[in-house]
Amino acid sequence: MKKISPRQLFFFLACIAPVGKLVLMPSRLVVEAKNDLLFPALVGFAVQTGVVFCVLLLAKRGESFADMLAATFGKIAAKVLLCVFAAFLLFAAFLPLLEQKLFVQSAFYDTLPSVVTFAPFFLFSAYLCAKPLGSLGRIWDILAPVSIVGFAGIMLLSVGSADYGALLPAGAAGAGGFWRGLAAAASWFFDGALLLPFLGKIDYRRGTAWKGALAYAAGGVAVLFFLATFYGVFAEIALNQPFAFTKTSKYFSGITVLGRIDYLFSYALALVMAFFVALPVQACVDCVKQAFGAPKYLPAALSVLLNLGLFFLALGLDYRFVEIMQVFAQTLFWIFPVFCVAVPLLCLLLRRSHASQ
Amino acid sequence: MKNVTGNLQRDLEALKRILPAEDILTFSFASEEIDFACVFADPITDKELLGEQVVRPLLRYTGERKAEAVKKKLTSPEVKTERSLQTLAEEVLAGNPVLLWEGADEGIVAGTKKVFIRAIAEPSMDVAVKGPREGFIEDVKVNTSLVRRRLKTPELRIEMMKLGRRSDTFVAVCYLEGTSVKKTVEDVKKKLSAIDIDVIPDSSYLTHFLSSRPFSLLKQVGTTEKPDIFCAKIAEGRVGLIVDGSPIALTVPYLLVEDFQSAEDYFVPPYRATFTRLLRLFALIVAVYLPAFYVAAQLFKLQLFPVRLLLTIAGSIRDIPLSPSLEMLLVLLVLEVLNEASIRMPKYVGMALSVVGALVLGETAVSAGFVSTPAIIIIAFSGIGLYAVPNLIEQTSVLRLVMLLVAGSVGTYGIILVTAFLLLYLATAENFGAPVLAPFAPMLGRDLRDSLVKYNLGSLPMRPKTLKSPNRRRLK
Repeated sequence: MKKISPRQLFFFLACIAPVGKLVLMPSRLVVEAKNDLLFPALVGFAVQTGVVFCVLLLAKRGESFADMLAATFGKIAAKVLLCVFAAFLLFAAFLPLLEQKLFVQSAFYDTLPSVVTFAPFFLFSAYLCAKPLGSLGRIWDILAPVSIVGFAGIMLLSVGSADYGALLPAGAAGAGGFWRGLAAAASWFFDGALLLPFLGKIDYRRGTAWKGALAYAAGGVAVLFFLATFYGVFAEIALNQPFAFTKTSKYFSGITVLGRIDYLFSYALALVMAFFVALPVQACVDCVKQAFGAPKYLPAALSVLLNLGLFFLALGLDYRFVEIMQVFAQTLFWIFPVFCVAVPLLCLLLRRSHASQ
Repeated sequence: MKNVTGNLQRDLEALKRILPAEDILTFSFASEEIDFACVFADPITDKELLGEQVVRPLLRYTGERKAEAVKKKLTSPEVKTERSLQTLAEEVLAGNPVLLWEGADEGIVAGTKKVFIRAIAEPSMDVAVKGPREGFIEDVKVNTSLVRRRLKTPELRIEMMKLGRRSDTFVAVCYLEGTSVKKTVEDVKKKLSAIDIDVIPDSSYLTHFLSSRPFSLLKQVGTTEKPDIFCAKIAEGRVGLIVDGSPIALTVPYLLVEDFQSAEDYFVPPYRATFTRLLRLFALIVAVYLPAFYVAAQLFKLQLFPVRLLLTIAGSIRDIPLSPSLEMLLVLLVLEVLNEASIRMPKYVGMALSVVGALVLGETAVSAGFVSTPAIIIIAFSGIGLYAVPNLIEQTSVLRLVMLLVAGSVGTYGIILVTAFLLLYLATAENFGAPVLAPFAPMLGRDLRDSLVKYNLGSLPMRPKTLKSPNRRRLK
């Protein structure tokens, strides 16, 4: 079986995972925390850095998530737990999916296109999901430079228009704003949990855990820099600027002569995002595969089925994004700390399987 | 299986039954004591050599009737004896005359086949301004000699295989013992042995059998027409195949990056090689994506154009009756037809074709308002750009069409998704154990030194890690 090398993992943590947080999270944070948007994001990244460190410590054992669960709870319970976790991954995939759909409709079209234009994404997602998780490492090798070029390009075009003084005075939103911001941002911070299905597929070497945490923190710093620039460009009106990374660079003076070249950088990030958004669904398929073994047809059949379901869900909830986001931020936000913080930390208590002992 | 009986008349009849074709001739002559008969394939046997090296020495023969004794009298350097009539018939078909006589228990095969070969010339592809100009020709022996001349080492193995039930085509499997991976060599030989086809007219037939995904759009076997490139690839640890009748040699494992490297890159300073390799990549990306982006921008995202350019485009497409995607498809189709026709048609009509293509179709179509000037410019640039990487032309031209169709229906997001599909497909594809996208995916630090960037030779002491050669060091 192909394993993911530490370098590929670091690329994912530093360059690919942060991209998902550049679309709607910035404006959502401004709605709740105003100019203090950096604090909830900082806490989110700090907590997830710890979680990533813990999950990578588990990776040192070289065992799969399923094996560890089976060793601790028995085979039947392990299957149930894996299915619950797979359901969570599918749930976690839903918001980024809708977010991506809205982003595509806004950034790729002048007028609002039919929802069917987003349908090919599910074809891609089904194809990706049918691939084993271990084969993703090579893709991350390719996507990391794409992500860096896209992000660097947007930042280069944006920093000149940013007034970082707009972030002051710090703490103006108060503790309430901070907590609301934290709850709103919770649904974007599931990276640690996303790594659990990768256990047993990582080629762990000495220092991978802390280096991985450092890579994730580096990605976090880049996102914080972007958030600061975003608020620096738009200040109070930032709350009305969804799809942040397609907007921050639009005041670059060269655009009148060159056209929206910033879109090329956005498209580079969109390419990276297509892989990132489909990843939780792929991880979900992998969890089911781990639970029930891997007959040949299962990954392909399941990925087609799940993506078909998600497509119809996206079709049905086409105009309900605001309500869905409110439900995620106000009612269901607790699910994320449970599955993305508590569960990975509790996994540290899992027993080693007999085989590895 | 029948053997030679010693009864000349009966043996000749038996041989004729196996070879009833009219161009298989029998020439009878007698020495002072023995009646001989020589069976040969008229068009492919050198009759002058046959007379000099076989007939003349035997005219005064008076010795024993045993094959070994007769064989000693012949002056041909390639002589062997054979008992089976079937094998003798095969030799006749290969151009080697067979000698039979009364009382013989074996036939003699003399190597006097007529070899029709063209001179070694510079190939039409893989042209290099600096560096060797020799190209492979259609004869496997000449081609292997070109390889042997460059790799004068006992480690060079050239194993001949005969493939094709009817064509009996010689295929030379070339590799360096101790440098190529044994498993790759065995896999190649196994795949070749498993081929059960009647005729192999060209090396391209073998690519189908060597591919692990025969229906894939993308290339899975490397090709070259130049012995220097072929030898360099073998020296890196690859396995090479030379097919009789084909000037195009094959190499495996194939990596995509190979097609961005040209022979000349190794004869010019590294900074120049790096620049040209990046230029090739840029040209290819622009060639594949530019028509698609132009259509997608016109249909779905006009903001991608700078304002002044947008005004120019708006002015030029104002009276065009076709939609942007149809217009671009039409121009692309015309380009492909012109391209196909210019390759197939006789050379002396080439000038007329240029005039028709450039003036009648281009100029007149624009002035008649069928297509716009920007569309012609974009397709022209795309057409040229594609030829920056000529070895990938079959794949990239199809890809350009796919991109265009997707761009016309889904827009820029469609282009992004096709790219994602392509990346995923390429990144997970392997070829004889080597990842096709190496050294980029997986990223192999040292191998990157001779990928899109090119370091000088002193910085390339090791063979590519991707090829897993057991003998990694090449520079000591």
